[in-house]
Amino acid sequence: MMFSRIRVGQILIGLGVAAIATASGMPKSSAEAVVGQTRKIELPRQGEPTAADMRNAYRRPPSIPFPKNNPYTAEKLLLGKALYFDTRLSAANVLSCASCHNPGYGWGDGQPRGVGHEMKILGRRSPTIINAAYGLIFMWDGRAGSLEEQALGPIQADVEMNLPLHQLLARLNSIPDYKPLFEAAFPGSGISAENIAKAIATYERTVVSGRAPFDAWIGGDEKAISDAAKRGFTLFNTKAGCSNCHAGWNFTDDSFHDIGLASDDIGRGKQLPDILRAQHAFKTPGLREITRRGPYMHNGMIGTLDAVVEHYNSGGIDRPSRSDLIKPLALSAQDKSDLVEFMRTLTSDVYSTTVPKLPR
Amino acid sequence: MHGLKISMLIAFLSGSAVALAAETSIKQKGRLFTPSEVSVKKGDTLMFVNDDNITHNVYSASTGNQFNLGAIAPGNSTPVTFKNSGTVDILCAIHPSMKMSLKVAD
Repeated sequence: MMFSRIRVGQILIGLGVAAIATASGMPKSSAEAVVGQTRKIELPRQGEPTAADMRNAYRRPPSIPFPKNNPYTAEKLLLGKALYFDTRLSAANVLSCASCHNPGYGWGDGQPRGVGHEMKILGRRSPTIINAAYGLIFMWDGRAGSLEEQALGPIQADVEMNLPLHQLLARLNSIPDYKPLFEAAFPGSGISAENIAKAIATYERTVVSGRAPFDAWIGGDEKAISDAAKRGFTLFNTKAGCSNCHAGWNFTDDSFHDIGLASDDIGRGKQLPDILRAQHAFKTPGLREITRRGPYMHNGMIGTLDAVVEHYNSGGIDRPSRSDLIKPLALSAQDKSDLVEFMRTLTSDVYSTTVPKLPR
Repeated sequence: MHGLKISMLIAFLSGSAVALAAETSIKQKGRLFTPSEVSVKKGDTLMFVNDDNITHNVYSASTGNQFNLGAIAPGNSTPVTFKNSGTVDILCAIHPSMKMSLKVAD
């Protein structure tokens, strides 16, 4: 008798499992995994971070990371810097990497959107290369998985530098002074697309934001930033929720969020068309040297930091893809002013960058 | 009637035991999958537990085991059963730093 009851129970389990499997969508075919029903779970309560916790999360890293497959050498840096500033890497010989990622504009171009081949206005703002060494994924929509991969993209893009790789290689081979630079940086392997990418990426990784007043404050100098900036820092990490995405010393989570901007550009959605939260989502930019990097957002549609804070305070457009981290904040005028004051402390002292003598 | 109640209770208990035997929990705290490398058998289930403080969107585009959980807020768990053998790359669509590898054996 007991045996028969267990068997009935097992049948009920079987039915129950089937019900769970269908609850949130059976697979469209047998070539998919089966997603069951999402259930609520209890999580332990987390206390509010202390002031010390917040500050510890923003300490600068001790060194620049270079990947194992492209370690730093001074020779690669020298070659990479020459390539970075060389306009001959574009079809019309007028655009270099530095045209859009210009040290004078915080390694961007100061324009709402980039300007490419034959003065074509591009779809998105030229992102800074500051602290790219610490990035996990590149481009506003994450379509490049490494800095090396990224480096070759704009050179070949017909709307940007418009120079196919075979033409780039022919051109560099025709410039005698490049040969010894490549030989020194990549002994025995010469001028190749892979080596061009590695050299440019090596140079870009050395572009790191300087020590800012914020860093001095994190290091213990209480007079390094104003009381308004300190209040702004607390807001940044609490009520305003900025640190949910602008996380860590470089102020980015290297992740993708729809922040409710009015734009037809679906951003990350092109890479992940079936993911709702990828639609209108763009990579979180870091905030280092931010006062030198306006206008702001992926398309430069917001001109000032005050207006940026105003956007986040409003929550932007409420649509299904919008991140649930973006919502009206009800910040006071003082709050908004304090947040901007805090962001101003992330800009370092002006430093100069020398343009290299280019190979001939 | 009484017997049916008992059998349902047994069913519930034995159902839990079955679930435990074939399920591995994948936690997401700190924007990391833990564990990040898992091996299971065909038909086994992974329980994706969002114990982080932000929303995640776990998915895989690996042939034979595609799935997309959609945006899952903290404090939720979702089971996923893998029907086909092979290597499955699992990611978060919001946070690319979250990656894990699953091997599904026959």
